[in-house]
Amino acid sequence: MKKNRNVGIIGVGQTVYSSHREDVNQPEMIHEAVSAALKQAGITIDEVDCIVHGNMELFEMVHQPDLWHTLGTGSYGKETLRVTTGGTTGTTLVCAADHLVASGLHDIVLAVGFEKLQEGHTTGGITNMADPLWGRQLQTGALTGMTAADLIEEFGEERAKKASMKYRIIMDKHAMKNDKAHRRLGLEFDQADDLAVNSPALVGELRMIHMCSQSDGACAMIFASEEKAKKLCKQPAWIKDHVTVHREELFCIFGGIPYLTTHKYAAQKLYERNGIKDPRREIDLFEMYDPSSWWGLDWLREFLLLENDEHIKMVENDDITMDGSFPVNPSGGVIASNPIGATAMIRVAEAALQIMGEAGDHQVNKPVNQAMASGFGGTMWTVLFLLTKEAPW
Amino acid sequence: MHSAKDDCFIVEGKLALPYQYFAGRTGSRFLISLRDKKIMGLKCDKCNKVFVPPRTICEHCFSNISENWVELKNTGIVTGFTIIRYEEPHQPVKPPYILALIKITGSDTPIAHIVKGIPLSKMRTGLKVKAIFAKKSTSTIMDIDHFRSDEKPKFELGFTYDELEVGMSASFTKTISETDVYLFAGISGDFNPMHLNEEFAKATPFGTRIAHGALPQSLIAPVLGMKLPGLGTVALEITCRFKAPTYFGDTITATGEVSEKIEKKRWVRMELTWTNQKGEIVAEGSALVMPPAPMAQEM
Repeated sequence: MKKNRNVGIIGVGQTVYSSHREDVNQPEMIHEAVSAALKQAGITIDEVDCIVHGNMELFEMVHQPDLWHTLGTGSYGKETLRVTTGGTTGTTLVCAADHLVASGLHDIVLAVGFEKLQEGHTTGGITNMADPLWGRQLQTGALTGMTAADLIEEFGEERAKKASMKYRIIMDKHAMKNDKAHRRLGLEFDQADDLAVNSPALVGELRMIHMCSQSDGACAMIFASEEKAKKLCKQPAWIKDHVTVHREELFCIFGGIPYLTTHKYAAQKLYERNGIKDPRREIDLFEMYDPSSWWGLDWLREFLLLENDEHIKMVENDDITMDGSFPVNPSGGVIASNPIGATAMIRVAEAALQIMGEAGDHQVNKPVNQAMASGFGGTMWTVLFLLTKEAPW
Repeated sequence: MHSAKDDCFIVEGKLALPYQYFAGRTGSRFLISLRDKKIMGLKCDKCNKVFVPPRTICEHCFSNISENWVELKNTGIVTGFTIIRYEEPHQPVKPPYILALIKITGSDTPIAHIVKGIPLSKMRTGLKVKAIFAKKSTSTIMDIDHFRSDEKPKFELGFTYDELEVGMSASFTKTISETDVYLFAGISGDFNPMHLNEEFAKATPFGTRIAHGALPQSLIAPVLGMKLPGLGTVALEITCRFKAPTYFGDTITATGEVSEKIEKKRWVRMELTWTNQKGEIVAEGSALVMPPAPMAQEM
C-alpha cells in the first residue's frame, strides 16, 4: 500500500468496560471516551476536522445514532460519517479515519466506536444475519461450538481443552493488569480443571468461561497527518497498512473440507505487501479480536500462518503471555471486554498504546516497533492492521 | 391461467428486538423532577442556553454543564406542530392528535409532546400551552401526559368553511322523558292522544305512547349550532326520514357528519343520523348549513 501521506494515532480514550452503565446514557458515555482521547492528544474538539462514528446496527434498537450522539462525539458543525460493518466496525472506523487523513481531506479525524450491549438484545440483532430462507429459523445466535469440535478432533480432547482453557486464563491474567477491562476474574492456572467441568455449557464444548463478555463502553481515537502528529505527539503510532477481507459464508459450503479463511488470506496479503517473512519475529505484539478462547487459540494459526500444532505449542509454552516471546492481547482481549462497535477499534487502540508506551500497567516489557491488530465480524470477516513506531515513509 | 409467480412461497418472519435505555444520571434527575411535577433544565452559563430535556454536555461549547440545574415553569409556547391522522400500533394515543414542539418558558430547546384542548383546525405555532402531568408516574417523558392550550378566547366560534373537512363528525345525546313530551306538546300545540293518552295509544300500532317525531329530530340543533360547525352556523335546510318510533325513556343520539363541501357557495352538506340506546336508527336525513365566516373570528 502506498499512501499519499503518513497518518499517526495521537490519542486514545477509553471508558471503563462494564456490564452496566446506568449512570450515563449513550452520548454521555461516548463523551467520556472522546474527552479522554482529546486530553491524551492535548487538543480541543475545535481542532478536530471530521468525526467517524460507528456501532452495530440495531443492537440498541436506535436508528441513526450518529445524529443524536452529537453531544457526545462533538460533531456539531463538523463533517460526520457513520460506519457499521458488524463486528469489524471498530477496525473499519480506523480504516475510514486513515483514508480521510491520508487522502489530505482532513488533518485531524476523531473516530469513535461504542456499544451498550446491556440495552439491547445481541442475539436478536445477530439473527438478522442468517439467510432468511435456510438459516434464520434455525440459528442459535452469535455462539458456535464448531471450532471447539474441530480442535478436539484434530488434537485430541485433553490437549485441545487444556490449551483453550490455558489461553483463557492467560487472557484473564492480562485483564487483571488493565483497569479498563470488564471481566477481571483473578483466575489461576490450577483452576483450569474445575472450570472445564463447572462453567455453564453454551454450545457444544463452548462454555461460558471461554466466551467473550457483553460490555458497555466506548473507545475514541484521534488520527493526524504526519506534520500535525509530529507537532502534537511525542511518539505517535503510525498506520503502515491494513487489509480488509469479507466473505459471506462462515463455513465452507461443501462441508468440512479445508478452505482459506479470511484471517489467513488477510495475513498473507499483509505480510507480502510489507515484506514480512517471519511474523513472530518481525512483529512484536498482536492485539487479536478473540471472541472466545477456542477461536483465539485456533486463529493464532490462521494469522501467523503456522503449521500443524505450532499454535497449541505457543500457548503451552507461554509464548503469548505479556512477558512471552510473542505477546497476544496484553489488554485481556475481547474475552475480557466486548462493547462490540468499539471492540475491534480497541484492538488497534491497544496496539497503538503499546507502541506509544502509554499502555500503563499492561505495557509489555520490551520495545514495540511493529504491532498487529485484527478485527473480526460478520460470518467471517477480517480487518488486519499493521502499526509501526517509525513513520513508514 | 398459470403465472410465473404461482407456487412461490413467502416465508413469514418476525424478529423480537427488546431493548432498554439507560437514562443516565442527568436524564434520571430530570425524570425524578417530572415525577414531582417540576420541569428542570440544565443551563450553559458560557453560551447562555438552557437545555430541556437536559443535556450533560453543551452542544455548542462541549463543556460539562451537568450540575447547573434551573427550575422552569410548567408553561411553554408551541414552535412547530403536525397533525397525526394515520393509525399505527406504536402511537401513544388514538389519531387524530397533535404532536408539537414546545419550548418551555425559559428554555432554548423545544421538546416534542402531545397538545390537547384545541380543535385540530385551530392549532397554530405560537400557542401558549401548559404541562398536564400524568396521574401515575412511569418515570418516562410520559410523566407529562400532554400539554394543554393555555389560551381562553373571548368567543369560541365554530369551524369556518376552510377548517371543515369531509368526515368530521359530532353528536348530542339525551334521554326523552315523559316531561319532555308534555312540554313539547305545549310548545307545538300537538296534543295528539297518541303522545299523551296511554289507553288511546294501546290501540295504535305502537301499543304505547310515543314521542313527537320532531322532538328527537330537534336534538340535531345543538350539534349543528353548538358543535359542528358550531357557534355562528346558519342552518339552511334540514331533511329527515323517520325509521322507528321514540318511546318514553329512550336515549337518542343525534349525529352530524360533514359529507360535502360546496365550494361555490361555501356551504356544507351534512349527513344526519338519529339512533336510540339499542343502536337502532330512529331517523336519517341531511342538512345544508352555512358555517361561521372567518371574519367573525375577530370578535
